[in-house]
Amino acid sequence: MRAKKTGSKGQRVKGSKSEGFKNTDTLTLGRSDTIIVHGTIKGKRVPSRILEEQIQHTVQEGARQLHIISDGQHGIGGRIWSREGTVKIAVEGPVGQRLGSMGMPGTEIIVKGSVSDDVGWLNCGAKITVLGDATNGAWNAAAQGTLYVQGSGGARCDTMTKHNPRFDPPQSWYFRDVGDSFAEFKAGGIAVICGVNPRNPKNIIGYRPCVGMVGGTIYFRGPIQGYSEKDVKLVGLTPQDWEWLKTNMKPFLEAVDRESHYNELTKSSDDWKKIIAYTPQEKRGRKWLGVSLPDFRKNMWDKEVGSGGIFAEYLNHELSLLPYITAGTDRRNRPIWANEKFAPPCAYACPTHIPSHKRASLIRQGKLNEALELVLQYSPLPATVCGEICPNLCMQACTRARLDKPLAIDKLGELSLDLPAPEKAAPTGHKIAVIGGGPAGMSVAWQLALKGHTVDLYESSGKLGGKIELCIPRERLPHEILEKEISRFKELGVNLHLNMKVDKNKFKEIYSGHDVVALACGAHQPRKISFPGSEDTVSAYDFLKDINLGKKPELKGRRVVVIGAGNVGMDAASEAYNSGAESVVAVDIQKPSAFGEEMKIAMAKGTQALWPRLTDRYDKKDRKLFFKDGSSIDADFVVMAIGDIPQLDFLPPSVHTEKGWIPVTENYQTSDVKVFAIGDVTGLGLVTNAIGQGRLAADYINYQIMHAPRWPEIKQPIAYERIKTEYYDACRGDFTIEKEADKCMSCAACRDCRMCEATCYWQAISRVEHKDGSYEYVVDDNICIGCGFCAGICPCGVWEMVENV
Amino acid sequence: MEPASGLRLDHNHKLSLREFPYIVRWRDDRCKRCGQCTAVCPVKAIEATVKVQRYVSSEGASPAPKAERKVIQIVEQVTDMERYCTGCGACTLVCPNEAIEPEFNPQNKFLHYKNKGGEGYKRGGRRNDPSISTLDRLKFTRISMLTDPALDAGRHEFRIRTLLGRILPPEELPLKIENNKLSINKDSAKFIPPVREIYPIMIGSMSIGALSPPMWEGLAMGVSYLNEVEGMPVVMCSGEGGMPPRLLKSKYLKYFIIQIASGYFGWDEIIHALPHMVEDPAAIEIKYGQGAKPGDGGLLMAQKVLNLIASIRGVPQFIDLASPPTHQTKYSIEEAVAKMIQSMSMAWGFRVPVYPKISGSRTARAVLNNLARNPYAAALSIDGEDGGTGAAYNVSMDKMGHPIASNLRECYLDLVKQGKQNELPLIAAGGVGKKGNLAANAAALIMLGASAVSIGKYIMQAAADCFGDEYNRCNLCNTGKCPRGITTQDPKLYRRLDSDKVAERVVETFKAADVELRKIFAPMGRSTELPIGMSDGLSTDDKAMAKRLGINYAC
Repeated sequence: MRAKKTGSKGQRVKGSKSEGFKNTDTLTLGRSDTIIVHGTIKGKRVPSRILEEQIQHTVQEGARQLHIISDGQHGIGGRIWSREGTVKIAVEGPVGQRLGSMGMPGTEIIVKGSVSDDVGWLNCGAKITVLGDATNGAWNAAAQGTLYVQGSGGARCDTMTKHNPRFDPPQSWYFRDVGDSFAEFKAGGIAVICGVNPRNPKNIIGYRPCVGMVGGTIYFRGPIQGYSEKDVKLVGLTPQDWEWLKTNMKPFLEAVDRESHYNELTKSSDDWKKIIAYTPQEKRGRKWLGVSLPDFRKNMWDKEVGSGGIFAEYLNHELSLLPYITAGTDRRNRPIWANEKFAPPCAYACPTHIPSHKRASLIRQGKLNEALELVLQYSPLPATVCGEICPNLCMQACTRARLDKPLAIDKLGELSLDLPAPEKAAPTGHKIAVIGGGPAGMSVAWQLALKGHTVDLYESSGKLGGKIELCIPRERLPHEILEKEISRFKELGVNLHLNMKVDKNKFKEIYSGHDVVALACGAHQPRKISFPGSEDTVSAYDFLKDINLGKKPELKGRRVVVIGAGNVGMDAASEAYNSGAESVVAVDIQKPSAFGEEMKIAMAKGTQALWPRLTDRYDKKDRKLFFKDGSSIDADFVVMAIGDIPQLDFLPPSVHTEKGWIPVTENYQTSDVKVFAIGDVTGLGLVTNAIGQGRLAADYINYQIMHAPRWPEIKQPIAYERIKTEYYDACRGDFTIEKEADKCMSCAACRDCRMCEATCYWQAISRVEHKDGSYEYVVDDNICIGCGFCAGICPCGVWEMVENV
Repeated sequence: MEPASGLRLDHNHKLSLREFPYIVRWRDDRCKRCGQCTAVCPVKAIEATVKVQRYVSSEGASPAPKAERKVIQIVEQVTDMERYCTGCGACTLVCPNEAIEPEFNPQNKFLHYKNKGGEGYKRGGRRNDPSISTLDRLKFTRISMLTDPALDAGRHEFRIRTLLGRILPPEELPLKIENNKLSINKDSAKFIPPVREIYPIMIGSMSIGALSPPMWEGLAMGVSYLNEVEGMPVVMCSGEGGMPPRLLKSKYLKYFIIQIASGYFGWDEIIHALPHMVEDPAAIEIKYGQGAKPGDGGLLMAQKVLNLIASIRGVPQFIDLASPPTHQTKYSIEEAVAKMIQSMSMAWGFRVPVYPKISGSRTARAVLNNLARNPYAAALSIDGEDGGTGAAYNVSMDKMGHPIASNLRECYLDLVKQGKQNELPLIAAGGVGKKGNLAANAAALIMLGASAVSIGKYIMQAAADCFGDEYNRCNLCNTGKCPRGITTQDPKLYRRLDSDKVAERVVETFKAADVELRKIFAPMGRSTELPIGMSDGLSTDDKAMAKRLGINYAC
């Protein structure tokens, strides 16, 4: 193969022989012969291509010593491989660029003068000696071999040199100095700059050397003016460096004919410096900034603008940093165990503010008696009102209604029926008069008596109970319940003055004989509108009162019309049916305002509602009630149920009235500070309203005469959303008192369930029990991060989050 | 009788999470209920609550139901529009278990509902428009390898600088030759305007007040560092909130442009500091408009006006500070420009460049042409619609304003027509670096004709990790609840922010931008002279855009 290849090549070379070999001296080559190759023939420059062909051919033919008289040809001496021995090439005359480029091992080139640019470009092993200067770009991308330069290097020498581990690293030796931008992107190889007689005595490696240098070594001797500090570092020579330099200095100096400088150049390793590239690890580990910012702040910023920076004089907090999650005073929000800060919906909705949640809590604690007694502190008639006739606003508002059905507060009220009257406080010596023995009067008298005041109660009829006694159908309120509670009321020791109609004089007497007078005389004068035939109608008040007094009207087979479809109208309708009426129609000028039990019972009995109807006249003879729209209805018996008004003719002028009613302040005080008014006398309302007003008025009266702290303050209701109904399972089934107590969601009042304590991830919540048996949940502010989990999961809505200011 | 309160149901006006801009994805299986997310949420959009789960199972060979009931604790997103999740992701940041993350909901109907009480939606940030802006559609297509000297950004030395101030043409300079040396004839009555050599990317006006103390100081320190340590003459504008006396009286004042705006906040304190100044400021900027919210003014809420802000602005504490959309004593261009530039120049003995800033507008050329005739006008800063702000009506931010590219271009070409393109510098701003391409956007604006660009939102994102983006993420700047501590005066929040770190990031950002600018300018053969107006180097793949900007269309 090899022979064949050589042959074919030989043939090819032969083909061009006739022209190409004219400038060689001999064609018969011996090993020791020096072949002279001319770059100029007859004054004509040989093209670089032809010269290259001749050199290659000559070597192929066996020449090992060439002498080339060049004339600026490109790339002389490169790409020669000798197969055996060394090819020695001497070059004289002007050389072109890239002398010795892609030079191979076994090639030795000696240039008898200076070279042009890029000498030794991409050298792969040739040994090049320049007995003069090298211009720009010397040794660019050299990978192996040696470059000896007797003079200086130009700009951009030794750039992109490499070291292939398969071979020795390339070496470049410059006897004097090198120009600017030396060793850019140098990746390997050794450069030596001896610094003898430099062109620039202040800088022997030029301007900005070593930019992008990542490998290799530069030894130099003499002053420099900087280098690419981010790429390379300047260090001293190690003994190994020094040994290497001394050893290799000799052949270099011999080659460039400067042996005489050997001693000078190897005098001391201290004369020499070494530049090596930073390793990638060093670069990555390097601080990004020359001056760290904390140092800049300390030494430059604060020094100039003042300690703590430009804003320090205005800031009153620590200048330290805070994490995103903070505790203590740095929290954005903090939790508060706001037990009973708000009212539960039931207590808020109840005009008397009966705390049913407390009742449930006591039952859950096993204190059943205390629980049932509790209500007597609020109302003298729990069984009658809560248990029977009240529409139970508390239950309408009950949070539990949002889950299944409201707590059976009515039944709890009923359970208090058999309890005795509570203990009274020690006598205070104050005397209070209550005019009217209905629910309002009983309530205010009850409360004041409990507080230890002496109470005189004046009632015009012979019985206590007012309209409860007189007007509420017995089927809605079993009479024995009322009687039982009235007898308990009597146990309290209120001085009862029954059948005592109060007139002007009597009032004057009562007024002067008591600290305070509470008017609770109700509205016992039926309102009537007059139209033709209205005198033939009967008021609901009288109708119902007569029935309760045992005077039942005979309505069998009669058609009854009730004018006014409110709750009293409904009671009248029911009683009409009870008295044998054939039909009852309730007419109203607007949508019937009746609701609750009254409505339910009346409707169940067959009461029809007719509206809107404005009554025009009643014809008793025709037994017809006519309306303004011309229509009429059969009416054997007409009850007018459009409300009652108070009788106030006994009042002195100091008690101001308006349109027949007594206006009061929010504390139920009339224009006469000594006189309070509660119940229907201030405007028609529910029995529960009357009882509530009685309690609140008593509270204020007590405050006024005793200068006692006022209780209870009116709390705002808790928002339903804060009660976590999720904790409770929807229940059906029978009423048992224990079950009911457990069902209570304890709105706004701590159930003591410890959910918060268990939930707090940071263990910041603990339960603290006090000596008096009370407890509270406390937060360790140093641990709490203000996440709001306690508030979010509290079944009762007790925990709340506030801004931590 | 009315039913008891709270029982009224109105599902129609109850919002589902589908209407909200961000839906919090919470993972039950990862959460350990430590509460860090709810503690950190700036708007209380999430809270702990309980839910009940009920399972009925049946085991065995015949139906045998067994009911199991469990109340679990969860982290729930609230559906109250006043507490909407802004998507800031502070929860994600603090969650140790990667259990929570807000997710953008592209179907949200946020703007349909965010008007409670009849008040339009207000926010901070910038235009919510995630599409690619003009600036990001410009490419540098003049790549010289063999035609011009190709430069190597890594190897060659670059000096990227610009001039701020009016540059007199040589023929107008009062020069004299003395002893064969050219020098300025100082006896000439001719006014020689002050000029500063600065870095072409500057930090735009963000006030003390809009920014928290550590943010503003961090920027100021970073800028000073760049000048003092790195030798990069970056300048920063104060914004309209005055400047602390400590800085006014320091040598670093020369790196700051002081802004005066319609609220004139802090100016009496600045005037009081005048006798104590050891350096002149870099320039004075008169703000007439803000690109982010043309027609809308500023309002610093009373709760932000604490001792610091009050002292620096020269106002009492706990009052609302309004910067009206317009100046109160200027009724025409002539009057506004002449009067203000004169006064501000006079304050520093005509040694400081004074220039107005306007919002990008169809009328920008009218302002420019007026300035061109005013020998004291040092520059014109135009702020395009993609600029940011601390507080504005959403409508002003999203729907008002002019993109910067064509606005700047037509102004520059107007100057070219008058032969004054090298005399009156144009500063461009508004959306530079909106998508993160700071150097490219800056270079594009420079090649369209800007002498310098201003950045705001970009530096907040780069230097302090501002959460905001163009999907309306966070944008809480106006509320004082900035979870990053950038735009709040609440120490609990701003003490999260390390001003040293901010400064360091400013330095890193500018150094990196400098490298990138070199990478852009090197192939165009520019290493020392800024390619201002070198529009032949720009191309776009949109024909209409190319035509409007007078640049090459390439596809």
